[in-house]
Amino acid sequence: FIGARYHFSFHLIRLQSCSKAASRGQTFKKQNRRKVNNKDRNREGPASLSVCSGHRKCNITRFHLPLTPSTSFHTTVLTSAAQSAITVTEEPDTLFQKLVVLVKGHDRAVLDSYEFFATMTAKELGISLGKVFEPPKDIERLTLLKSIHIFKKHRVQYEMRTHYRCIELHHITGCTAQVYLEYIQRNLPEGVAMEVTKTAMEKVPDHILEPMWKEIPTDDKPSQ
Amino acid sequence: MAASLSSIGNVRVLSALAWSSSLCSFSGSRGLHVTVSCCKNRAARIRVGKGDKPVTYEQAHHPHHIGHRKGWLSQHTSNLKGEDGAAERTVEDVFIRRFMFGTFHGCLANEIVIKRRGNLLNVCAVMLQKLPPQKFYFLIGYTESLLSHFYKCPVKLEIQTLQDKIVYKYL
Repeated sequence: FIGARYHFSFHLIRLQSCSKAASRGQTFKKQNRRKVNNKDRNREGPASLSVCSGHRKCNITRFHLPLTPSTSFHTTVLTSAAQSAITVTEEPDTLFQKLVVLVKGHDRAVLDSYEFFATMTAKELGISLGKVFEPPKDIERLTLLKSIHIFKKHRVQYEMRTHYRCIELHHITGCTAQVYLEYIQRNLPEGVAMEVTKTAMEKVPDHILEPMWKEIPTDDKPSQ
Repeated sequence: MAASLSSIGNVRVLSALAWSSSLCSFSGSRGLHVTVSCCKNRAARIRVGKGDKPVTYEQAHHPHHIGHRKGWLSQHTSNLKGEDGAAERTVEDVFIRRFMFGTFHGCLANEIVIKRRGNLLNVCAVMLQKLPPQKFYFLIGYTESLLSHFYKCPVKLEIQTLQDKIVYKYL
């Protein structure tokens, strides 16, 4: 390595909780808002979780620090191929008021451990958790004949139990939701199904912001 | 099961001839009533015998212990409420079990566990060390490629080997 010039870049991905703006219902027009591309997210997902625990601002900042080999800096050299995978767009990000993740399974213990995993992930990423509760289970029962021929009085009963677990997240951006859901879904155990409901927020249209009677006080009101 | 009256098992034939003779004073009816009264379940159970039959943990526990003392052998989401595709998954499972039983004949120590995660089909099996490892590797590769071509999804085989079957008790 002597004589080589190493060039490494820091990727700091900090995810945001945008409670203030979200409650006002306005769209974001920040220059700092960047959309994370798929490739980068896959690679950086586990690494970024360890980096950003406790950070609350949404910024993907990249620092390029070219170093000469004479310095005694010992950090991991991240590949420079990852830089080109991040795309920067200026369009505003979608905002979700509520993200409801419902998991269904046959085994309650599996759902318990998955709920622990999902809530821990949300806490580490700084996403505000709403309610985490257990809807009552559904049992589907079948009563079938025990014998293949006659013996109508002797039956056998089977049942299929479906347990549920519901995790609600509040005030989350589109980017964060994508990252969180992708991580959650990649680690979904076998035999467990998930349903996600997203409640998006949109900017109030301009033409109904101001009431009509305030603008034109002298005109007649046709619709009363 | 209880279809034939001549089956040996726990079937007791109650003939009502004796019944009617004792009670016919006020009922006045005479006839042969034959009921199979003690219709015990026989599904997935090994009946208690002399004590010389070695039985694994899986075989020793009856189906009503699933979820309490046993786990599930086939894990997929189609039996959940609101999900479909149960019949197709069941048929696939039956085929895979028979295929594995035939390919690794005499080598299976326990039942095969089939897990489905997204598109991936994971077949987990515990085998006995009856074949040399080269033959095992060949059979594993053959099974994986054949099943993945057949089901059009990636199939992974996870094999563990043992010296002998683990005996839980003798029935």
